[in-house]
Amino acid sequence: MPLILIAALPFLGALLPGVMIKAGRNACAWTTASVTLAALVGLLVHAPKVLAGEVIHYRLDWMPVVGLNANFFLDGLGFLFALMILGIGLLIIIYARFYLGRQDPMGPFYTYLLLFQGAMVGIVLSDNVLLLLVFWELTSLSSFLLIGYWKHLPEGRQGARMALAVTGTGGLALIGGMIILGQIAGSYDLSVILTQKEAIQASPLYLPALILILIGAFTKSAQFPFHFWLPHAMAAPTPVSAYLHSATMVKAGLFLMARLWPVLAGTDAWFVIVATTGLVTMVLGATIALFKDDLKALLAFSTVSHLGLITMLLGFGTPFAAVAAVFHIINHATFKAALFMTAGIVDHEAHTRDIKRLGGLRHLMPITFVIALLASLSMAGIPFLNGFLSKEMMLEEVARTRLGIPLLLPLVVIVAAALSAAYSFRYLGHVFFGDEREDYPQTPHDPGFGLWGPPAFLVALVVLIGLFPAAIAGPLVAASAGAVTGGDLPYYSLKIWHGFTPALLMSVLAVMGGLMLLLFHYPLDKRWIATRRPEAKVIFDTVVALCVQVSRRITDVLHPGSMTRYTAIFAITVLIASAVAWNSSTLAAPGRELLPVGMVGVIGWILIVVSTGILVVYHRNRLLSLILLGVTGTIVSISFIYFSAPDLAMTQIAVEVVSIILLLLALNFLPKSTPAEGGVERHLRDVIIAGAMGIGAMILTLAIQQSDFSQPTISAYYLENAKTLAGGYNVVNVILVDFRGFDTYGEIIVLGIAALVIYALTEQLLGGRVGRKLADRPHDPTLSGDLHPMMMVVATRVMMPLALMVGVFIFLRGHNAPGGGFVAGLVVAIAILMQFMASGYDWAIARQRFTYHGIIGLGVIAAILTGVASWLFGAPFLTGAFAYYKLPLIEEFELSSAMAFDLGVFLCVVGAVMLALESLSRLARRKDDRTRTHPMDIDPSRTEDEPRPVPPGTAPAEAH
Amino acid sequence: MALWQEVIVSIMLVIAGVFGLVGSIGLVKLPEPMMRLHAPTKATTLGVGGALLASMFNALFVLGRFSFHELLISIFLFLTAPITAHFIAKAHLHRHRADYLLPATGTGMPWAEAAPPDGSSAAQTEPVTEPTSTSARR
Repeated sequence: MPLILIAALPFLGALLPGVMIKAGRNACAWTTASVTLAALVGLLVHAPKVLAGEVIHYRLDWMPVVGLNANFFLDGLGFLFALMILGIGLLIIIYARFYLGRQDPMGPFYTYLLLFQGAMVGIVLSDNVLLLLVFWELTSLSSFLLIGYWKHLPEGRQGARMALAVTGTGGLALIGGMIILGQIAGSYDLSVILTQKEAIQASPLYLPALILILIGAFTKSAQFPFHFWLPHAMAAPTPVSAYLHSATMVKAGLFLMARLWPVLAGTDAWFVIVATTGLVTMVLGATIALFKDDLKALLAFSTVSHLGLITMLLGFGTPFAAVAAVFHIINHATFKAALFMTAGIVDHEAHTRDIKRLGGLRHLMPITFVIALLASLSMAGIPFLNGFLSKEMMLEEVARTRLGIPLLLPLVVIVAAALSAAYSFRYLGHVFFGDEREDYPQTPHDPGFGLWGPPAFLVALVVLIGLFPAAIAGPLVAASAGAVTGGDLPYYSLKIWHGFTPALLMSVLAVMGGLMLLLFHYPLDKRWIATRRPEAKVIFDTVVALCVQVSRRITDVLHPGSMTRYTAIFAITVLIASAVAWNSSTLAAPGRELLPVGMVGVIGWILIVVSTGILVVYHRNRLLSLILLGVTGTIVSISFIYFSAPDLAMTQIAVEVVSIILLLLALNFLPKSTPAEGGVERHLRDVIIAGAMGIGAMILTLAIQQSDFSQPTISAYYLENAKTLAGGYNVVNVILVDFRGFDTYGEIIVLGIAALVIYALTEQLLGGRVGRKLADRPHDPTLSGDLHPMMMVVATRVMMPLALMVGVFIFLRGHNAPGGGFVAGLVVAIAILMQFMASGYDWAIARQRFTYHGIIGLGVIAAILTGVASWLFGAPFLTGAFAYYKLPLIEEFELSSAMAFDLGVFLCVVGAVMLALESLSRLARRKDDRTRTHPMDIDPSRTEDEPRPVPPGTAPAEAH
Repeated sequence: MALWQEVIVSIMLVIAGVFGLVGSIGLVKLPEPMMRLHAPTKATTLGVGGALLASMFNALFVLGRFSFHELLISIFLFLTAPITAHFIAKAHLHRHRADYLLPATGTGMPWAEAAPPDGSSAAQTEPVTEPTSTSARR
């Protein structure tokens, strides 16, 4: 299976659970599992080659100009991680089927899980660091969804936010680091970067890149001081914890360090930062874990500790340590996932995870007990289980390494190992051993196979690797460690008995120490509870609150919601920027004469000046201001015609109409006049800003009109090629729908989003206090009794087909003559709007068969389909095509792909304009408005016994 | 274009201009709103109509074919101008009505410009604040 498909399968499969849940929970789970299984099989097909040391590549150019390509490669390390992600993922999917309760929505869960899985597989298979970053961020987002899966729990939401904040910040740092790395190496392809060790380590930017990348890796892998998010992420359902927080996501940081190990490791900086951080994390995590009473918190901190251990090994920078690290990654994934699942079983059956409320479960849950026993003994480092082997290798390496004072490192590590053994024993001793209790929240018993099967499988691996390490894990370790070190492997042997070595001694000491710590746990626990410790969540919350406060300060100054302030800030910024630009560049001497001013121009100019002048004087009268704005808009439209730009003029007129109606609707809710504001100084200040802006604009316009362009303009190209390349005489339209179609494509989407945002804002407004206040408004007693006069109703109905015809006409001619989808959309929107104004909101909306949301969506889909269709012909997105056809009875006509695209523009415009206007008009509804079924208030043809259907208030789409 | 053709087009344009001018003067000079109402409505229909006819003749003479766009424009104008006038008149009556001057409608319903009978009976009994002279014209 091509590598891209392995990474894409989970993403594609993520669409299925939501559909399959309709067929039942089993069907949903099996579908999800089969997706993962397919990806797993696709991966395993490559196993023989990869284990033989081959590297498999898959290349697909995506954005070669910026160096972002969908390149994948599979070597030993990627194979190991992908195997863990997909293999444990499969077990988790089965486990989750039985873990989730009836009230938990299963479809979203599996969708999130598959999204996460795809993102993780993407990370480990990426051969392009930019692509890797994309997947990296996707894991942060999908894990946010998974951690916050139980939305009703505040811990879940807070934990999810914290995880996102920490890993997201790390992700940002990582982006910086990766880009520096790519710049040094001259390529963003990992396989190239990995060959540039000397160049990278010699670069002065090595240290910044290293620190940024490590911040990314440390936040993801919960290394000190970023370890605090992991325990809080435990609010997630246990399958998520077992998957994300033991086997996969937290290992992404380790993966990154291992992946970049060949180029980054081996320097002093790497050794000091990584090894120290790992060591501190290991000790700290183990210590806290010992005193946690929540089963999952204990496991979470133990995970932090083990991640620290692996980080430390990677930090040592020696090949042997790298082998040990890789081996421990495998072992940790097996026993820790199994332990999380047993913790989930205990929680599921006993309804508590509090160790102090548990004990004696070995008789009640024998199967779970056996699984937990083997897994936790492996975690403690007891022989014949896999944890022992990698811990032994770690100790062997530690005995050889010196960090600061001699013997310091071994001693600290022994302490950490003892603590690790102690919490492993505690997990067993305080939960499964001891006397049976009477006061479990629910008497536990072993669950069905679905829950214990997956951890049992993992524990079988734990034992098998523990007994026959070389046979079972040997090839995988060799292949993946080879990928980390980049070739030569040191001598190492995966076997249980190495003879009496210092490592064995340290191991024995650690286990003994662990037993001692457990014996004295009770007094130690009392002391621990009594000591004051910095609480990470409190610190985090304080930091977040501080950030919020600071940004709010800044925002309050810059964005107080006052339009005048915004305008002033904008004007001053523009003035400063243009003053700088003006002073720092030279202006060519005026090379063009200004045109003579004609009569029409003068009249238009006078009208604009006079209307603006009146506006300044009477701006407090809002209705008058609106009328004056209409004058300005009309003159602008006419000036477009005057300068031979009919397309612009048409659009401008249509936009003017729509916006005046919109403003009239808004005026409904505003006072009739603006209150007088500010004193003389304020007015003076505003006059200066506005005057400077106006004069600046004038100077700029004059300069542009008098001088030639510094470079040849592109207009000539458009004029020359509009007909030959795009088949249209109307260059403006051809630019919009063909030459720069991608821009338009983005713009209509933005337009649609803007309309949806207006809708959402209105929804929210109407749902709240303001909405109630608006609905409770008293009726205006001076309203006319005949709001919808017959003449108007009848006239608009006659106009409707005419106006629609004009719309269609403008649309169809758009490619060759002034017109096009945008103007046509506005015309049609106005035609529909007339019905709303004339016949009232209720009557019109009852005849509106399609929702505006749907029309916007349809428009975007039409545009996308037009774009995608060109792929079928092997051309890039949105490539245009046109041809001429002949039908009987009518002239030869042209069909072009641009027309379908223009249809998308048309629909988007209609939908967006109408949705915005409808949202605004909904504000006008009062609580006791009755639904009007008649378009006219006074209709002589209606019989007398019918009650006169006049609502007490005005109908909303009214624009008086 | 031959001279007689130019003359026809010019006459049409002059008619249009005259009506436009008369309409504008009327709008400024006539003393009362209900009178002023007539000036611009006549001007739009006849004034613009003349210009449209001129345009049609021009197309006929110069391009040698009939141009129908202008017909559409005049249809729109004939439809919209009365509506506009109606609305201005309605607004005027509504703001300056004097209910006591009006005879009963005889249908049990109030006049169209009055407030609806339910919901806001206050409007019916409200003292009329501006009994201007124009309201008698109904």
